[in-house]
Amino acid sequence: MALTPEELKNIQADKVVDARGTACPGPLLAAKKAIGEIDKGQIMEILSSDEGTKRDVPKWAQKKGYEYLGTIEEDGYFRIFLKK
Amino acid sequence: MENKKLCMALFTGSLDKLTAAGVVLSGAIADDYEVDIFVLLQGARAFLKNIADNPDKLYLAENQPLRKEFEQGLKKNNVQPWIEFFRQAKQMGNVKIHICGLAGKIWGGEKIDDFVEIADDIVGINEYITKAQEADLHLFI
Repeated sequence: MALTPEELKNIQADKVVDARGTACPGPLLAAKKAIGEIDKGQIMEILSSDEGTKRDVPKWAQKKGYEYLGTIEEDGYFRIFLKK
Repeated sequence: MENKKLCMALFTGSLDKLTAAGVVLSGAIADDYEVDIFVLLQGARAFLKNIADNPDKLYLAENQPLRKEFEQGLKKNNVQPWIEFFRQAKQMGNVKIHICGLAGKIWGGEKIDDFVEIADDIVGINEYITKAQEADLHLFI
């Protein structure tokens, strides 16, 4: 269930992973590692500048049973929000 | 729910194919695959202790004359050395690295200590065939 951009912008993530500057598979593995460090119900934000990641992470998250909340496009990178 | 199994055969000992294998391996780890890697003929050389951390000692399988451009591309995109993908995968997931005994011997590696520290054991061809058959996903690189 994706949230509106407004709702996304107001989220205070429990964990933020900055994977900008690393290429695939960096961001995906960083996401996997970090999601292991938060509790169920908590929210994680991943920052990435890699095009492939934009598609990879939401698909991966849904496969694993996490909730994909949405993506915000910023200047030169994007922010992906997941809920465990 | 049981994790799916990947059997990855690394025939290659070239820098480009090993880098690609490393990325594919990372994708599998992200998906919680249990991985058995079989390091075969050319791969055994790359996994030798004195070669694994020296990419300069490897060649490219394709576009060898464009090596400089390739390496610059890797650097520009912060791509780690190929062996680091394997080290990282071992750390993050369930990965076993098996060296083919014959392949090792061809390149001068007799015992497990002759190989990079992440190599688990030296095996024969039967183990590869068995694991390949049992796997959900089998790749020959």
